Amino acid sequence: MSNDSFVEMKSITKTFPGVVANDDVSMSVKKGEIHGLLGENGAGKSTLMKILYGLYSADSGTIRLDGDTLDMDSPQDAIDAGIGMVHQHFKLIPRLSVSKNIVLGKREPMSVFKTEPDQTDEKIPSSIISHPVLQWIGSRFTLGLEKPKSEIQALANEYGFDIDVSTPVWQLSVGERQRVEILKALYRDVNLLILDEPTAVLTSKEAERLFETLSKLTEEGVSIVIITHKLDEIQSITDRVTVLREGEGIGTVKTADVDREDLARMMVGRDVLLEIDSEQVPNGKPVLEASNLYADDERGVEVLSGVDLTVHQGEIVGVAGVSGNGQLELAEAAAGVRGVTDGSIAVNGKDITNKSTRSFINHGVSFVPEDRYLDGCAGELSVMHNSILKGYKNDRFGEGLRLDYDSSASYAEELVEEFDVRGINDVSEICAEELSGGNLQKLILAREMLRDPDLLVASQPTRGVDVGAIEFIRERLLAQRDEGTGILLMSEDLDEIFDLSDRVLVIYEGEIVHETTPEEGSRQRVGLEMNGGETVSDSAKGMTTVAADGGRSET
Amino acid sequence: MLFDVELTPRKEIPSWIGYITPIATILASLLVCSVILLALNVNPIKAYEMMFIQTLTTESGLIFTINKAVPLILVGVAVYLPLKAQLLNIGAEGQLLAGAIVGTWIALNVSLPTILLIPLMFLGAGVAGLLWMAIPALLRTRFGINEIITTLLFVFIAQRIVSYLVRGPMQQPGGNFPQSASIPGVSQLPEVPGLGVSVGILLATVLIICVYIIINYTRLGYEITVTGANDRAAEKSGISKYKVYLFVLLAGAAFAGFAGINEIAGEEGRLRASFNPGYGFTGIPIALLGRNGALQVMLAAIFFAVIFVGGSNIETLLGVPSEIIGVLQALIILFLLTAEFFKNYSVSMSLKSASKGGPRDNTDVEGGA
Amino acid sequence: MSNLIAGLTSTTVSATTVLLLAGLGELISERAGILNLGVEGIMLIGALSGFVTASATGSYWLGFGVAIIAGGIFSLIHAVLCISLNADQAVSGIMLTLLGTGLSTYFGSSYSGASIDGFPDIAIPILVEIPILGSALFNNAATDYIAFLVFPAVWLLLYRTNIGLEIISVGEDPETANTMGVNVVRMRYLAVIICGAFAGAAGAHLSLAFTQIWSGGMTAGQGWIAVALVIFARWEPARLFAGAILFGGLNAFQLFAQGFNFSVGAAAPLAEIINPVLGFVFNPTIMSTYPYIATLLVLTITVIRAENRELAQPSALVQTYNQQGE
Repeated sequence: MSNDSFVEMKSITKTFPGVVANDDVSMSVKKGEIHGLLGENGAGKSTLMKILYGLYSADSGTIRLDGDTLDMDSPQDAIDAGIGMVHQHFKLIPRLSVSKNIVLGKREPMSVFKTEPDQTDEKIPSSIISHPVLQWIGSRFTLGLEKPKSEIQALANEYGFDIDVSTPVWQLSVGERQRVEILKALYRDVNLLILDEPTAVLTSKEAERLFETLSKLTEEGVSIVIITHKLDEIQSITDRVTVLREGEGIGTVKTADVDREDLARMMVGRDVLLEIDSEQVPNGKPVLEASNLYADDERGVEVLSGVDLTVHQGEIVGVAGVSGNGQLELAEAAAGVRGVTDGSIAVNGKDITNKSTRSFINHGVSFVPEDRYLDGCAGELSVMHNSILKGYKNDRFGEGLRLDYDSSASYAEELVEEFDVRGINDVSEICAEELSGGNLQKLILAREMLRDPDLLVASQPTRGVDVGAIEFIRERLLAQRDEGTGILLMSEDLDEIFDLSDRVLVIYEGEIVHETTPEEGSRQRVGLEMNGGETVSDSAKGMTTVAADGGRSET
Repeated sequence: MLFDVELTPRKEIPSWIGYITPIATILASLLVCSVILLALNVNPIKAYEMMFIQTLTTESGLIFTINKAVPLILVGVAVYLPLKAQLLNIGAEGQLLAGAIVGTWIALNVSLPTILLIPLMFLGAGVAGLLWMAIPALLRTRFGINEIITTLLFVFIAQRIVSYLVRGPMQQPGGNFPQSASIPGVSQLPEVPGLGVSVGILLATVLIICVYIIINYTRLGYEITVTGANDRAAEKSGISKYKVYLFVLLAGAAFAGFAGINEIAGEEGRLRASFNPGYGFTGIPIALLGRNGALQVMLAAIFFAVIFVGGSNIETLLGVPSEIIGVLQALIILFLLTAEFFKNYSVSMSLKSASKGGPRDNTDVEGGA
Repeated sequence: MSNLIAGLTSTTVSATTVLLLAGLGELISERAGILNLGVEGIMLIGALSGFVTASATGSYWLGFGVAIIAGGIFSLIHAVLCISLNADQAVSGIMLTLLGTGLSTYFGSSYSGASIDGFPDIAIPILVEIPILGSALFNNAATDYIAFLVFPAVWLLLYRTNIGLEIISVGEDPETANTMGVNVVRMRYLAVIICGAFAGAAGAHLSLAFTQIWSGGMTAGQGWIAVALVIFARWEPARLFAGAILFGGLNAFQLFAQGFNFSVGAAAPLAEIINPVLGFVFNPTIMSTYPYIATLLVLTITVIRAENRELAQPSALVQTYNQQGE
């Protein structure tokens, strides 16, 4: 590493139960540079930066700032060292004004109470006012807002933020709120500013303004780290970029020296020629036809912008994409769990747009949600209860109003048997949350698959699951497809997408930007598209050929 | 602090906790209560002996207890049923009063033989209780407005409506007291022949059995259970939260209405301005003690019935202010809340040590991007 | 007529004091995110302890002080349960009311009906000379004046001090506050204790100034009105002040309205319809429901209006009055 590094992270290793988040990762940032941190979900970018910010502590490795070794125990240490972080989810209180948000926690007293020579207004001699009791009173029972407010406003004006710092935050747009977060860091005299996926919530115009601000900051000597998965961002503003993949540092390069394909390759790995040994079942009629779908996310922000998608009988359609680009919402819309604001959804030819979830279930749609604990099961209830979650209205479980728990229990036992769910002695005793992640996922899959659905929507089905279970689940998905079910598979794991899918789609910023097949497509290209790489015109889609050395040629 | 107190959420809740908790709670409350008794120079042993032993071993004590258990079972279920879906019906008292009002009105104004009149009174009372819950239930299902504060406000409104009615439209004609006319003999709850207890106990028992069956043997009960355990997963699995919420709230309120008319047609005999039994609030600790099942709710209700009857005994015989019952009730709730905490967390203390492993905040334990 | 107005005003002042003290306390607790339904019980504890102390020592000021401390200590139970043990806030609050009511009546039984010489009326010179209203507004007990001073004090505390800023932040988003270095637990404890202290003071005002007697359950639901008042005021001190006067005035009006007959002359058009309606609307008992109905309406309308949903209530008020997709 060069000696003019301002921040140096050396050989950082961090493990969580079951996963190595950072494996001997080193990274350095020069003073005044904009440094990109690139990688897929799960690569370890956020973890690395959270270590730098004092939110986590590394198992091993050192952090040096300007030559001094740092001991980060808490965000306060990081703030004291001049490191600031702008999180993906803003830490702002909407009811309060910008300035109040920024001074919160500092306990600045009114200027009467200040003792520093440049701050005091000398109404009361400092010998008196510096008495601990008075200082105690001042910091608690007064609010020093005047001076900080003008300082903050000056800062805002300096960077062209166009914000009145008296405005309550709830009145500000998302882009403006992000600027407030940056102001927060600036106000605390930041030397290194970390931004976590900053443009995820911005319009392109707002993103441009952000980049202008960042450039200005670097002119002042502030170093910046941007965590992102968007290749066009890396190219527009970073000086250098470090790429992580699966917890390992792949390398640091000068942005000017590489192109997007190089970066994609670093992020995603070399192409591997795949053995596709699953039977090819001729595609039948469409089980899912989604047309021009628009949908909003939890906050009411549009997250699907005109998605067209078809899944046929006996086909697995894999959707690759980085989390946050709409796949969660697309999966939920296809499964009938989320409403769409425009467009239509037809299952087996019947238009059931925005009908109830129950309706979708009755039309033969099964859903394996991304978060199995939050959405997929009732943790404190037994395996038996969870097994009939979709099927309890079925006649086999009792007639009329009555629910027969005996037949439910034997059904649960069937599921457990079929899908090799381990750790259960009595299906009506063991609670769902007592199962390991992999076993719970198998149970949920069993429940969703064994009801013989026409359409199965599976969102990240092998995430957080142990290796043995992963194999099992993938085999089952293929088997289900062979039986004629149409499967919509969302996964961040490109291996999985390529192994299982008959067709591969890429989603980026709420739109399907690329379609190919595992035979014809290249992992690089898909990786590229997932991260906002150039989308090639329609005629060239799917015509990229694979070369063993990872090179790329286009027709 | 020299100690590091570490709270670790328990992964598994040992099953013995489910049984020990109610007993430990009651014992702890009795212990603290004995201190309070001592403060007024009352011998707690004597008081408890009178409260429990005598109540349960004399025939009259048993009869009073069973009769007192009826409204308690009913309000217990009125809170228990919504609780199954994670809703808190604090307004059972108001629904009880609504039931009392309408039931009394029917008793005073409708001429029918007992065999028809009493069911009609109860029906009217149940509908009244249900209607009294209608607005809070709607506000909760439609707008997410928390049912705690809305049902509570309705309690206070109900109390005042009772006061208004017995001083006005429902006042005993020619009388000067804030009370209604006495309900006619034909409308009074008869006793079970030979046993001396009110037939109300039959109703209460039947309802408990019905609730038990619904929760444990029907699809609706399943939907309620799942919604209570994880309403997100329930919704995403096609269960209608609307339906579940409306059912438990309205049915529970109807039961509270039954409790109201049960009192008027039983002990009270007329609607008075001073009718303020407070049972609606007792329903809360009953439902909490019995949260694992309808049968446990019944047992908890009987336990409180013993306390109430025993409590008024020691008031009469030992001069202990009957508020001790309220105090005991409150203590039971207090220890229940405390026990709930220890059920979910195991506490360990160690001398402070510098530990630098592990995430600082709890948000990201499984590793992120 | 002027006697009527003076009497009405005077009663309103005393009624307002109770609601103001209890309400401001509850407001602080809820702004910090903790719902405290135990106000009624704490008030009774305060009323009794103040009364007993004053009886024993002859000093109503000492009684007032003890009541404040007793209220603060009693509310600690709620604080520990809700903040440290994560108990259900609504259940804990109701338990506190049951406990406070029970304990106060139990221990106060020997004092039942007793009276003492409590706070005398203090006239404020010059202002008390103002015709009609002067004697009503400016000849009151010290506790009344204290309450009316507490209002601006609370306003200043919340909006012009660091402690207030932190209390608000903790009730909006405790995680963010924590990131900014605010001690969430400490602030919440502080808020709940202040609430208890104020409630104790409100109770003491009742037993030492307003009525100068003790009787079990003497708060008669005013603690609950205070809770409703906080919602009605949408958690703002200034609106709470106005609301307290409104509800207090309503209370006073009820007492006066007892003797009146609200009707239009029998010859007036639609008199047969209007008169019974008026009789109903102005019936004192019916009028006593208005604060609760008004609160329900305010609550409903506030929540339904889509705009500003972020600000409908302190966002982190657990057991919030509006659960959005939890």
